[in-house]
Amino acid sequence: MVGLITDWLKQPEKLAQELEQQKADEIPAWLQEKRQSALQKIQTMKAPSRRLESWRYTDVNRLIKDLDSFQSTEHHEKINATEKKDSVVIVIDESGYTGIGECPDWLTIQTFNNMSPGDWHEFDFDSESVVSLANDLLVQTGGLISIKKTSQPINIHIVYAFDEIDDWKYIRNQFKLAHGAEVNIIEQHQTGRINVINVYDLADHVVLNRSHDIRLNSSEQFISFNLFEIPENVTVTNMNQHIGGSLQHHTHAINFNKTGSKYTSGSINKSFDNNHITDIVNVNHSFKNNQSDVTHRSIAKDQSQIFNNAKALVAVGADQSEIEQDLKNVLLSPDAKIFSKPELEVYADEVVAAHGSTIGALDETALFYLRSRGINIDQARDIMIESFEQEAWVC
Amino acid sequence: MLKIENVFANAGDKEILKGLSLEVKPGEVHAIMGPNGAGKSTLGNLLAGMPYVQPQGGSVQYMGKDLLSLEPEERAAIGVFLAFQYPVEIPGVNNMYFLRTALNAQRKYRGEDAMDSAQFLRMVKQKIKDMNMRDDLLKRPVNVGFSGGEKKRNEVFQMGVLEPKLAILDETDSGLDIDALKIVADGVNQLRSADRSFIIITHYQRLLDYIEPDFVHVLADGKIVKSGDKNLALELEEQGYGWLNN
Ligand SMILES: Nc1ncnc2c1ncn2[C@@H]1O[C@H](COP(=O)(O)OP(=O)(O)O)[C@@H](O)[C@H]1O
Ligand SMILES: [Mg+2]
Repeated sequence: MVGLITDWLKQPEKLAQELEQQKADEIPAWLQEKRQSALQKIQTMKAPSRRLESWRYTDVNRLIKDLDSFQSTEHHEKINATEKKDSVVIVIDESGYTGIGECPDWLTIQTFNNMSPGDWHEFDFDSESVVSLANDLLVQTGGLISIKKTSQPINIHIVYAFDEIDDWKYIRNQFKLAHGAEVNIIEQHQTGRINVINVYDLADHVVLNRSHDIRLNSSEQFISFNLFEIPENVTVTNMNQHIGGSLQHHTHAINFNKTGSKYTSGSINKSFDNNHITDIVNVNHSFKNNQSDVTHRSIAKDQSQIFNNAKALVAVGADQSEIEQDLKNVLLSPDAKIFSKPELEVYADEVVAAHGSTIGALDETALFYLRSRGINIDQARDIMIESFEQEAWVC
Repeated sequence: MLKIENVFANAGDKEILKGLSLEVKPGEVHAIMGPNGAGKSTLGNLLAGMPYVQPQGGSVQYMGKDLLSLEPEERAAIGVFLAFQYPVEIPGVNNMYFLRTALNAQRKYRGEDAMDSAQFLRMVKQKIKDMNMRDDLLKRPVNVGFSGGEKKRNEVFQMGVLEPKLAILDETDSGLDIDALKIVADGVNQLRSADRSFIIITHYQRLLDYIEPDFVHVLADGKIVKSGDKNLALELEEQGYGWLNN
């Protein structure tokens, strides 16, 4: 079904050329095999469309559109991460992982060429996640980032900074954290049209604080699939800020594979202009006695759209699971749209679960309260938005 | 200072104020009493500019200005303050930040310089002391987790910081024990001056034991039906509002 590729990935000739080129670039044989099977699989699938739940509220045509066709009025200050002092900064650009200099002894980075095939995380992407299957097919940059336990928590800054900004860049970051490691990872976008797969392969007793800070101008796009494999006594805090962009599409999959762990996530999604943002969190409570706490705060302005969802699946026997899903949404204009529905699928008996979702405008009474003290309406709205977001600030 | 003439106003789609008139001169304290649902809060909300309350007729002059044509924030900047009957909680917004933002917004509107945080802190600490309040109030988010009494005291504290010319207190005494009531009354009495006026909406005569009003009015069915001096409050306390139905 080559038609699919013509439609949304790229021209078939271009794709063939690219795969040839990658061979010439001495891509290891095992990875070429993975690509071949991804190619076979993707040919059996339909292109992303509004019939898929995760693409229902996104204009899929934007995947192939020229970026300069998107009008921008909002500009977001991007943080210059390369100036961070107390962090190891990994810049991802055309030359791969750069900017690291000499690796500290707690950090090992192996690119595809020198990582072992056994470390490659196998996904079983379905049609909902076909854009990430495309990543399996076309991944250019990435590798295995292994982090040992240290006496002090360590900070890693990942920055996407490509010179060429029109073509999709396919990246895979596989983080492997050793027993007891305490790590803060910040992931930021500077430039580039990004499709990334992040794998967080955690050992017991890991403490991971992860911040996903994706601020895009109205012509930029970013797709991510983020997998967290969580064993025993692990604490993960995942703070997401998704601001702007002609297209942002984020999927978070959390697998509890043992017991006694906690996953907390906060997402702040803000859209303007004609932005489309999708933010999906799927938590699998396959084992007993784990806790997940998912908070989303989404704010849509102008003609923008946000789809945000949290889903928890609690397997048979996964008793003492605690699940909280709290999704709140604010529409700042009559043309903006937000869709949000928390979902709980529980097959265990003893589970504590709470979920809720609201959608509305900013609270008029509170706005009036602020204005009655002399604060003008724009500033009062900003303060209300700040107030609305604060429960999603998990770290 | 304030001249309300034959005002009609709706709350939502309900007609609430029906030809209300009231004049308040500088330095005066007016108490407004009346049965539930009479329109007392609607009057306060109308003066402060709540969008839900829509004027339908009549006029309100405040210091030579057409008050009803101004935005709520403009009214605040020229000295109108409403202590809410139900103060609003604003999670995640620190009381101190909120008050400084408000004060500086008002000062800017009036063409005055902004207060920096050190100046502001000094001023606010002094006010807290003068008004016998606890200073942990400042660090907490606006009204979040406050008891009913703390919320009311916070309103009076805001009034103390913002130093309005016309303060409207909407049942600030409701739900207060006697000590809290005294704190609130002290806050008002400290602010009383020849150029500052108060409209005190209350259900009970007891607040007026501590804040002596110049006039007492009865508001019923959207208008002032009776006015007198502080003795009227005592009469009302004894008789209730049953006589209104005759
Ligand atoms: N925000 C509001 N929402 C709904 N109804 C309101 C609102 N404000 C006032 N009303 C209605 O207006 C009428 C007068 O209310 P109010 O002015 O609060 O009376 P009072 O303060 O004298 O008890 C009541 O019937 C009340 O139900
Ligand atoms: Mg009232």
